[in-house]
Amino acid sequence: MKFAIQYRNLKSFLTYLFSSVLVIYSNGQLKEDSLFTQSLDNVVVTATRTPRLMGNVAIPVSVINAKTLYQSGSLRLNDILAEQTGINIVDNFGKGVQVQGLSSEYTLILVDGEPLIGRTGGVLDLSRISVRNIRKIEIVKGPSSSLYGSEAMGGVINIITDGSGINKSDFGLRYGRFNTLDGSYNFSRRVKKTDVTASVNYNRSAGYSLKPNQQQKTVEPFWKTVQQLSLNHQLSQRWKLGSGFRRNVTYIDNTIEVSNQGIAVLSKGFERNDEYNITPYLQYKGDKIKTTLRGYITGFESEQLLSVKGSADTYNDRFNQLFSRVENQTDWQIREQSAFTFGAGHIEESVASNRYDSLATKRKNSISYFFAQHEERLTRKLTAIGGFRFDANKAYASVWSPKMALQFKPDEKLSINISYGRGFKAPDFRQLYLNFTNLAAGAYSVFGSEVAAAELQRLSALQQIDQVTGVMGGLAALKPEVSGGLNLGARLKLKDGMQISANLFRNDITNMIVTDIVAFKKNGGQIYSYFNLKSALTQGLELDLDKRISRTFTLKAGYQYLYTADKDVLAQIRKGEIFQRELTSGSSVRMKTADYAGLPLRSKHSANLKLAYETATGFFATTRLFYRGRWGTFDQDGNGIINRSDEFAKGFLLVNASAGLSFRKHWKLMAGLDNLLNYKDVLNLPGTPGRVGYIDIQFNF
Amino acid sequence: MKTRSIIGSVLAAVVIFQSCTKEETAVPQVTLIQSIVKDIPADTIVGLSPIGQPVGVGKFTFYSLETNAVIPNTDSNSTKWDIGLRGSTIITNGGTSGPGKGGAFIYVGTFDELTKVPADSTFRVDAAPNYAITASSNRGWYLYTPQTNLVTPLPGRVLVFKTASGKYAKVEILNYYKGGVTPAATAPDNIKIFSQRYFTFKFAYQADGTTNFK
Repeated sequence: MKFAIQYRNLKSFLTYLFSSVLVIYSNGQLKEDSLFTQSLDNVVVTATRTPRLMGNVAIPVSVINAKTLYQSGSLRLNDILAEQTGINIVDNFGKGVQVQGLSSEYTLILVDGEPLIGRTGGVLDLSRISVRNIRKIEIVKGPSSSLYGSEAMGGVINIITDGSGINKSDFGLRYGRFNTLDGSYNFSRRVKKTDVTASVNYNRSAGYSLKPNQQQKTVEPFWKTVQQLSLNHQLSQRWKLGSGFRRNVTYIDNTIEVSNQGIAVLSKGFERNDEYNITPYLQYKGDKIKTTLRGYITGFESEQLLSVKGSADTYNDRFNQLFSRVENQTDWQIREQSAFTFGAGHIEESVASNRYDSLATKRKNSISYFFAQHEERLTRKLTAIGGFRFDANKAYASVWSPKMALQFKPDEKLSINISYGRGFKAPDFRQLYLNFTNLAAGAYSVFGSEVAAAELQRLSALQQIDQVTGVMGGLAALKPEVSGGLNLGARLKLKDGMQISANLFRNDITNMIVTDIVAFKKNGGQIYSYFNLKSALTQGLELDLDKRISRTFTLKAGYQYLYTADKDVLAQIRKGEIFQRELTSGSSVRMKTADYAGLPLRSKHSANLKLAYETATGFFATTRLFYRGRWGTFDQDGNGIINRSDEFAKGFLLVNASAGLSFRKHWKLMAGLDNLLNYKDVLNLPGTPGRVGYIDIQFNF
Repeated sequence: MKTRSIIGSVLAAVVIFQSCTKEETAVPQVTLIQSIVKDIPADTIVGLSPIGQPVGVGKFTFYSLETNAVIPNTDSNSTKWDIGLRGSTIITNGGTSGPGKGGAFIYVGTFDELTKVPADSTFRVDAAPNYAITASSNRGWYLYTPQTNLVTPLPGRVLVFKTASGKYAKVEILNYYKGGVTPAATAPDNIKIFSQRYFTFKFAYQADGTTNFK
């Protein structure tokens, strides 16, 4: 719709857009028949790494299109993901995503198919990513390591930027509460055989305080910029060459108030994150074979500098990560009913940080991998996909990740999908090399598994170790965390434009890496290191309903039921080995499984309801309701798990609304109000500052 | 109304009288003393050290389980007290801590489940700095969580003591904060620091010298 209003020849426009998708992603054998050109939104690439009609994919996948993005008034990736069924945004080291109950470190975030790096504590901060130049977002749930390797355990979120090559430009400006200003300019042009797309985005905010009488704000003033350029050149009818360039800078003006044993210590400084990537490719597209050679170089440089007020003390934290990859993917359309995709690649990764030892020491890992996938339409009603990937790692054990999926479509209305896949997450550099001692809080230390033994020996020589625990003997090279994920889904199309879909999921995660105490220091401090110890499970049901009420009204509703558990805790409870302390009497009792609320930060229930009104003249209005049930935060009764009623944050309801119109052919104006009910939870929802209004204007030419 | 309540009280008096006489004749003297002790300060925070560490005056609070009372600090070198509390450190009247016959061990289970000191129990004796009750997080009676800066008694831990005079007692620490309420994990550090080191505990003391807690 965003574009449709401006272009008379909608069909040719869509055909054009789609063909450009094909060119960028894909399988030469898919003909641009009427089935495919219906709508761009119906084609997904992330689930199989080849473009497929959404209804033909046997894996749970959903798409957020540009229109929804615009009408929801979303600026950053976390804004729009928070509005999706089954996705929670958790505010911890930035805004991380939670998919199928798995936390941010287990979800892979791609931009145009390439992985984003630069995680803090495992969390990839989604607010780094602007959604102002995005054509669509594809969300694949369940493990997809068979195609993407590490991190694709809970799901894969692929942000597809607008590289359409149409001769157009748009300029957008937005102003909102907390002095939030967002400006964006997108440009695309076809010059002979070269498509040029460029976009810039600038976003700033004065931040806000939820706690009065504190010098440190809840969200500090920041600015962020995104610059992106993509060049695609058609060398000949079959050959194509191009590259993307992207740079993302975040600057936060930090004032940090730390209470050191009761005394407020004020520090001032900044945090700066600089991420860049280059994505060159060369592609050949024959009649049956399409092959692409892709390079990917990305760097993430983070610096945090704080000066303690009234003292010469400074805190400087630097973290430089470099990731480069070369990969070939070949898609071979063997027959009309069968397609084969295979590929191989090599990754070189390095990190240097003063959190580990010094900036001068680079910690490295390299990974070689290959993958293959076969898709076969067995009968008219039954399609099967099988695939695997093998990752041979230098710094840790190698992994096989298979995946199988079946789709059964008895008729036009119903489709039933079942898929099973294995996912994995490689041990990250922090878990391998961290060397951290906190002198303020209990003098505890955390050492990565690769450096723990040497550090313990060093401290032991200094007579600082009191006792080494039993787990120290188990210190070994870390293995990747692995999961098995099963998804069983059905989609039913009813008359009068109604669609219902349901998906049952279960993920079993083993070899989870957790910290455990390896030794006690003589000063009472504890020394932690990382071990493959825990197993967990997440399971649940996701329900979605989509209904066109009238020509102008559409309704969408979603619900997720989620059950999570640490399996070892569950086993211990069953054996009667875990106790809880009653809130009123203070006495200990043995716990029952029903008292156990599973992993922290998970809501058992979450739901949404979205109502949109839209006329053919370009006026729209939306009202979106989001409910998130209570979730566990901190243990309060000494058993280390979530069980008692005072260990939860309260459930809440958010209501967002927006409305907009098009005028004078080139202009679009919208205004919105997020969190109409002004809900706040100072302690548990620092990212929810209460009611936020904004106004947004766009000029297209 | 009046007549009814008069009849009621007469009946009640009869019942009480009867039961009293029964107890006096049939049941032996009750030797198990059970009590809940609230808000015993244990070297509470008086200020901050030059480097910002919260500090108390460094003295133990002594408690007699036998008399269910706090014993003055001046009696530290006597057998009047059974346990001493200072911050998260708990001592017994024995070994390097006092002249008594004290000792202790930690039983894993609930207070009510422990009806008798198990026959194979070994009472550890204080040998400073290694106390019978280990004064360290997750190894003794409490859990310290750096993220929340809170001390919580481990649930399902019963401290079994031998008193200064060699009798047996069981103790469950219920809380470590003033008023018997642990501050919320999200409470300010100031509140957490200045309301800590107040013990609320439940105990049972067996005066007859046996290991029974029934």
